[in-house]
Amino acid sequence: MDDTETFDLLPIRLDPQSKAISTTSSSRILNQELKTLNELHKTLLSLESPAPPPPIPVNPKRSAQITKLRETGNDSFRKGKHAEAIQYYSLGLKMALSRPLWEPSGLVRDEVAGLYANRAQAHMAMQSWAEGSVDAESSVEAKKAGNAKAWWRKAKCLMEMGRLEEAEEWIGRGLEMEGNESDLVALLKDVQEKSKKA
Amino acid sequence: MFEIDWVGLSMAFGYIGVLVGSLITFSSVYRKRKAAQSATLAPWFPPHMQRNIYLSLLHLEPAEGQEKAPNVPDSVLRAALLRRAVEDIHRIIQIRTAKQACSTLLQRGSVGDALWQRFLRAEQEMEAELKDVVMEANALTPNWGTTIFQSANEMAANTMFRQKLDDIQSQTEAEVEWWKTRRASIQDEFMKELDGESGAAAKASKPGSDEDAVLVEGGGPAATGSIRKKKGKK
Repeated sequence: MDDTETFDLLPIRLDPQSKAISTTSSSRILNQELKTLNELHKTLLSLESPAPPPPIPVNPKRSAQITKLRETGNDSFRKGKHAEAIQYYSLGLKMALSRPLWEPSGLVRDEVAGLYANRAQAHMAMQSWAEGSVDAESSVEAKKAGNAKAWWRKAKCLMEMGRLEEAEEWIGRGLEMEGNESDLVALLKDVQEKSKKA
Repeated sequence: MFEIDWVGLSMAFGYIGVLVGSLITFSSVYRKRKAAQSATLAPWFPPHMQRNIYLSLLHLEPAEGQEKAPNVPDSVLRAALLRRAVEDIHRIIQIRTAKQACSTLLQRGSVGDALWQRFLRAEQEMEAELKDVVMEANALTPNWGTTIFQSANEMAANTMFRQKLDDIQSQTEAEVEWWKTRRASIQDEFMKELDGESGAAAKASKPGSDEDAVLVEGGGPAATGSIRKKKGKK
């Protein structure tokens, strides 16, 4: 960073009507940054308060909607309507991920982890192992510890696709996070037996 | 009376004078050099673009043909300040993670003193920068200074998290495609095995059924469906 007293004057312009900021420079990073800035400005304008509110407390409306979508999805899943369940989960995910960025990231992680894990299960019920594997991995990314189900689901998908080595490695990582989760250990045995046969 | 030995005395004073003079010269030259050195030290961070944008907005020049500079609405300034705070959060994280490593390396003598100097300067500058942002925030909206960094922190964390999720989710298409081709090849092998068996059995009973086997193999889409069901039963 340069001196605290000085700054570089950038060639930027403010559009008087739309209040959008643009630049005459062709720098890719600067243009990218200005785009983000303009988007942020729009979200700020949609707020009631002038500045973004502190992360806590969270507006309960969206949380309630997301929970509702997940439960509706769960109901459909139990009734065997897997495709419908996937749609509900996807909608819930869209909602959770479109939370304003200044809301607590821990909350988003929790919600997203549950929804992805459930969607992975629905994909698995439809034998779409590839989608299930990606969703389970996303769930793990959102919540690494205490998410044994998602670890198990990804490993199961890998096993079903015949990627035994990957499955074994994945379970190994999962066991590091989850301790000796019995389901994971059982799956590991399955995988090892299969790779012996092959 | 004492005879003052002017020559000897002047020798002594001259000696002291030369000594002091050379010490002063050395000290000033050394300090100047050191100052010049630390001034030329490369900065730790690249230019702070968000800060530049914010300050450029404050000092916006009038557009061509207009006398007055355009009035920047506060909401734009708030957005720009928030972006600046987010970048500060990234930098604070970098400094915190680098501090431990840097001091260990310095103790072991693996890195030079210059690096440590650069680091300390970056740390000081960050402190000043944070104070500045808090002051600006308070000026834009009363009491915003207390929460702006909380918001910025969540924004930084959320952006990184969403980036990672996007990376993972973007693999979906490739994975699905891979599995499609892989499954098709497994099925092909499976069908060939089946054909081989049935072909062998048929050959034993009557010759000339090889063509049938070929026909079955040709019926791609129909075969796909049946295998899928078989997989489900497993």
